[in-house]
Amino acid sequence: MTIELFNEEFKGVSGKLKSYLLRITASMHDAEDIVQDTYIRASEKLHTFRGESSLKTWLFTIASNLAKDNLRAQKRWVENVTDICREEAMGNQEFFREAIHISATSTQGAFEIKEHITFCFTCISKSLPLEQQLCLFLKEVYEFKVNEIATIIDTSEAMVKYYLHTGRAKMTNVFDNRCALINKEGVCHQCSELNGIFNPKQKFQEEVVKIEMAREAGSADKEHLFDLRMKIVKEIDPFESGAAHLQLHHLDHNRNVMEKYV
Amino acid sequence: MAQNGKATTEKKTFSRTTTVATDIHVDTVIIWKLLTTASDYPRWNSTVISVEGNIAARQKIKLKSTLAPKRTFKLEVKEFVTDERLAWGDGQGTRLYTLVKKDNGVITFSMTEKIGGFMFPMYAKYIPSFDQSFEQFAADLKKEAETIQNSTR
Repeated sequence: MTIELFNEEFKGVSGKLKSYLLRITASMHDAEDIVQDTYIRASEKLHTFRGESSLKTWLFTIASNLAKDNLRAQKRWVENVTDICREEAMGNQEFFREAIHISATSTQGAFEIKEHITFCFTCISKSLPLEQQLCLFLKEVYEFKVNEIATIIDTSEAMVKYYLHTGRAKMTNVFDNRCALINKEGVCHQCSELNGIFNPKQKFQEEVVKIEMAREAGSADKEHLFDLRMKIVKEIDPFESGAAHLQLHHLDHNRNVMEKYV
Repeated sequence: MAQNGKATTEKKTFSRTTTVATDIHVDTVIIWKLLTTASDYPRWNSTVISVEGNIAARQKIKLKSTLAPKRTFKLEVKEFVTDERLAWGDGQGTRLYTLVKKDNGVITFSMTEKIGGFMFPMYAKYIPSFDQSFEQFAADLKKEAETIQNSTR
């Protein structure tokens, strides 16, 4: 492959690569750095790329290895990350001042419930063991096949299936217990609270019924609701969406809180 | 030893040994991960209430079983041969899990627990039969492992 063709193809993959890295690191700066490092590493080793996998798979492999080096040294987050970070945020006026400023001035500062669902998934997925988190994103959001994921995280297909199954099971149960959008007894109401702050004139229930997952909450099983949640995550690019600026600010806050907490 | 998921118990004066075995159509690593991931047990295994600790060589774990829900068994991992053998136990008994791959790729999973000692005849009658619990354990493991293996997601 020529460097010109590589550059062109890299440009096509880099957006997805960056959002994947943001979702697994929860750090905008780490995501951007690793995309850069992936480009450098891949262009240096381009002569070794023999097309045994797609270029996209090869690039995700390099990026995942770079991210894993960093992530293995860090502790995993906790399931109730959003409760802990909410408490911290309540006592942090500076955080709210900045958020209100972003909401009022940024073209990517709108608060939207779907964006918050995606943000919430990113935070809680960091409570999974790393391999489960990687497999879940690679399969459910970036649509890699099991054999491609096995290549990316350097394991067997059987292990990928194990990580996917257990990761899905854990996340399905966490949301089934926590998320008030799908369970009336759910303990987390943050999207309604934040919607009240950022969109005070909006009627939350009217907004919620626009979301298929919430509409089907009373009738669908938790597996299907998890699929609908993943559909929302898949549709949103955390860097390009209308709420990106606000949600990245929120993610930055949660990462700082978790780094001290875990 | 029959691989039909039916438990058998051999009773002697100073010991009791219960065994179950079943064939499972999966890759060994899936069974091994299920057997050695402590926190995940209650999700797939209806005979286990909780397992705390790290299931690894010479580590201590705490297990609560539906057979005696009020008791917490403090156990030590006595054998840990990846993808082959796992044993844990205490002064009263040892449970051994083995995985044997047959020529056709099917895995024979077996689970054996021997309890006993000099005082065993005095308390033997107070210890419930393990048969049903063992059969359920093996059935749950087979179902979960084959579900994972056959998943198409």
